[in-house]
Amino acid sequence: MSLELNFSLDDKTFRNFLNGHPVVRHSHHYLCLITKLVEDLSDIGGPQILAEVVEDSIRTVLDDYFQQQGTLSEDERMRIGEAYFATFGLGKMAASGDRTGGEVRLQRSHLDEGWRMKWGERDRPVNYLACGFAAALFGAAFGLPARSFAVTEQEGMVMGAPESRFIVRAA
Amino acid sequence: MTVMRDTVVKSLAKVTVQGDENGLIPEYEVLVNLLPVALLNSFAERIMAAAPPERKAEVEAGLVRAAYECGYHTGCGIITSESFNEAVMPMVTEGAKDILRGAYAAFTAWGWAKAGIVQLKEGERMVIRAFDYYEADSGGEGLRAYMFRGLSQAFFDLAYADPYPDGMDTYICQQTKGLEVGDPYGEFIVTKK
Repeated sequence: MSLELNFSLDDKTFRNFLNGHPVVRHSHHYLCLITKLVEDLSDIGGPQILAEVVEDSIRTVLDDYFQQQGTLSEDERMRIGEAYFATFGLGKMAASGDRTGGEVRLQRSHLDEGWRMKWGERDRPVNYLACGFAAALFGAAFGLPARSFAVTEQEGMVMGAPESRFIVRAA
Repeated sequence: MTVMRDTVVKSLAKVTVQGDENGLIPEYEVLVNLLPVALLNSFAERIMAAAPPERKAEVEAGLVRAAYECGYHTGCGIITSESFNEAVMPMVTEGAKDILRGAYAAFTAWGWAKAGIVQLKEGERMVIRAFDYYEADSGGEGLRAYMFRGLSQAFFDLAYADPYPDGMDTYICQQTKGLEVGDPYGEFIVTKK
């Protein structure tokens, strides 16, 4: 089963919608600077706040879609989550695992590639956004509550790795 | 003929965006993303709420800066793009002023805000009013259209500061009214820094 995309536009406000959810466009400059901002705010939990916000908002999108589609297997849910990641322009994701955890790989990454375009490589991972997305994907795929999974980025394309790799563990 | 806002909005609003086979959206010399409004608003609300009082100005500046740099670099790509060239440039008779009007039409067409210029003193001052913008839905306290401020500052820099990429940080934008605090519209004033 592939992800069905329904783009729409409110004729009065000109707001954009994807599958019923308001969406807006920005560029890698925006997400890179937001990511840098949360790192600057590490002492007040900035990276965790970003990851949790992403998990919560993406979870809503995924749950709504899965509910509308009716019965879907866990594998189908994983594939649809990957397709959403790509539709949002965030990169090419491959996720595997079960309700105890698993692995997520990014063969392409908006944030990592954008960061390198903007500032060059660095020596540690940066993709808190993908961590939150992966947590949402595993939670939604296996029907578990938010914060059921802890996601750690092991290596990132921003470090020069050929792909980004995340470990997902049941929390 | 100057830029006919509604015509441009309708023309540009037809453009849809989604990731390619690599899950990327390379356009306007940048990588574009398409994210839920709820994610962006919730992030701004939670990061501001988490900041202690003495650091809220720093966080606010960071949110504006993110939008500013996005707007400056992406905005340059937009106003030199083929779609902008087709939809807007045939109507441009007043130079930078018309390009700025076209940029705000794009601003509306792409779902950032339903907004337009209400006063413009070229190269010196601009007043924009917005009757719908996604940040108006955000939770939190006070005026909080950080994205709108950053993008407006960027557009004015692109129109009247030194040519791209040397004109950054020439102007600044302040928000004076906001739907999010109960005003009938959002109002933003751009002046020299």
